[in-house]
Amino acid sequence: MTVKIRFFARFRELLGTDIMSDVVAGTMFTSLITTIAKKNPEGYTAIFNEKGAFHEFVILMKNGKRIDIADAAKTPVADGDEIAVFPPVAGG
Amino acid sequence: MISIQTNDVDIGALIIAAKKHGTGAVVVFDGVVRDDNITEMELEAYEDVATQELEKIARDATEQFRLLHVDIIHRIGRLAVGENILIIVVSAGHRPEAYAGSRYIIEKIKKGVPIWKKELTKDGGRWVPGEHGHGKGHR
Repeated sequence: MTVKIRFFARFRELLGTDIMSDVVAGTMFTSLITTIAKKNPEGYTAIFNEKGAFHEFVILMKNGKRIDIADAAKTPVADGDEIAVFPPVAGG
Repeated sequence: MISIQTNDVDIGALIIAAKKHGTGAVVVFDGVVRDDNITEMELEAYEDVATQELEKIARDATEQFRLLHVDIIHRIGRLAVGENILIIVVSAGHRPEAYAGSRYIIEKIKKGVPIWKKELTKDGGRWVPGEHGHGKGHR
């Protein structure tokens, strides 16, 4: 199954965006983003802390709905999902 | 009109359109690119989600402050110093509701709508730090 991963702002600069990823059933949000982010060490450390957990400021979305960081490790992704990971917003 | 777009808008035309029957006050917020020793500002949005969130903010403000009209236009792309970034036009029967509704909208945008700003300088660029809610889903 295929999932689309979108990074924004600094995360996009480091890791790219609109990444189509083939994943196996049962893959969890956190493990998917960990795998993608590890392709660029600077991108990884921008998103994850030294314990491998999301930095507290990182914002996660699945299909336009926010996912609590505490829930991401047990949130599965499904075929066609759009996953978004971004830093704090600064519009206005 | 709720829009995320590259083009500027005619604020005068928005004011005219905002004067619905019963209007006693129109408040315009115009956020502009400040000259903080930058060359330009680059704005980026998660457009689909940001538009949906702006629409929800407009609905909530309309209900809460009995607004008669709401426009929110947030620009993206590269903007020069002095250009408009965000235009909010609200109308209401009386000024307290118009001012409060406008303030509600800008604060909600600052807090949660997925839009980012990068200040471009002669030496490169820097992302404007945003507010954050410690990774909590707050919708």
